[in-house]
Amino acid sequence: MEVADHKTQSLENGQAAEEEVDEIENDNVLQFMDSMDAYLTLVHSLSSTLRQGWLDLASARHSMGAYRLNTALLDHTSHPAATSLLVDEGKEPHFTLCKWRSSGNEKLLLGEEQSSHDKSHPQLRHRGATLLSEEKTSFENKASCEIDDQVQKERSKSLSVFGTLVSPKLRAAQLSFETALETLVEIANTRSEMLRAFDKVNQKSGGSKD
Amino acid sequence: MANRNQIPTSNSALIAMIADEDTVVGFLLAGVGNVDLRRKTNYLIVDSKTTVKQVEDAFKEFTTREDIAVILISQYVANMIRFLVDSYSKPVPAILEIPSKDHPYDPAHDSILSRVKYLFSAESVASGRR
Repeated sequence: MEVADHKTQSLENGQAAEEEVDEIENDNVLQFMDSMDAYLTLVHSLSSTLRQGWLDLASARHSMGAYRLNTALLDHTSHPAATSLLVDEGKEPHFTLCKWRSSGNEKLLLGEEQSSHDKSHPQLRHRGATLLSEEKTSFENKASCEIDDQVQKERSKSLSVFGTLVSPKLRAAQLSFETALETLVEIANTRSEMLRAFDKVNQKSGGSKD
Repeated sequence: MANRNQIPTSNSALIAMIADEDTVVGFLLAGVGNVDLRRKTNYLIVDSKTTVKQVEDAFKEFTTREDIAVILISQYVANMIRFLVDSYSKPVPAILEIPSKDHPYDPAHDSILSRVKYLFSAESVASGRR
């Protein structure tokens, strides 16, 4: 009798374990399908954004002239990229876009951190909390204005390769390609998620890898 | 002192491009262009005179550079070196195939989707059910 009960219990435990494994497999498959759907949606969105960018470039070329908008004018002197990526190579790589970063922006950001560190200094405890938060808000506003100015300067610097006076369509093209960059970074992150989910599904099913 | 701006911060990386003129110009307007002290760029403009060897060399160079995290490549250019793109499997730099003006994006040619499409084949579904 006790042996029969033990056998029944171990059967039930086995079934529960199998169900749990099936649930995990289903979760992995769902995660993979979701990430693939997100990838395709983002690529579709990228296509639209790029199309707009090409159209704006063509309009700019039409108004400025082809000789003013061609690759012969590109700056081949040594210069760093104003827009770059931060990469976190954990279990799956994660990319973060840093738009229009320059030494000016970094200094402003460092200054902001320094100021927030200074605010924890004992001398400032004599002030009221409201005054402190007002000062912090006004500093943040000033810092964000300065960063915006710096970003506008970097944008203008990038446009100035094609002359001092450029068509508004060229500025529009610049914004379109900036948006495309943001979409591309999302695509890169979704791609990493999709590949990770695919590896999980592959491991569980024991299928052959590509 | 003059070189200080050339030294990247510890985690920052570049976006490389192998694409047609308009696509490269557009992304350069967005601030992605980098030229190092040896006058090496992080982009290759592909036109009618660009050879397959040049595209291959650029792809190999960008995939081995440590300061590049993402490579944007027009899909029609990727098709020229499909064997090379499909055999690449590292997570970084990530290879992203993008449409071009004259060649819309085709999911059937995307190397990532090709890698995972076998999951949707009849054989794989049948074997999973056994």
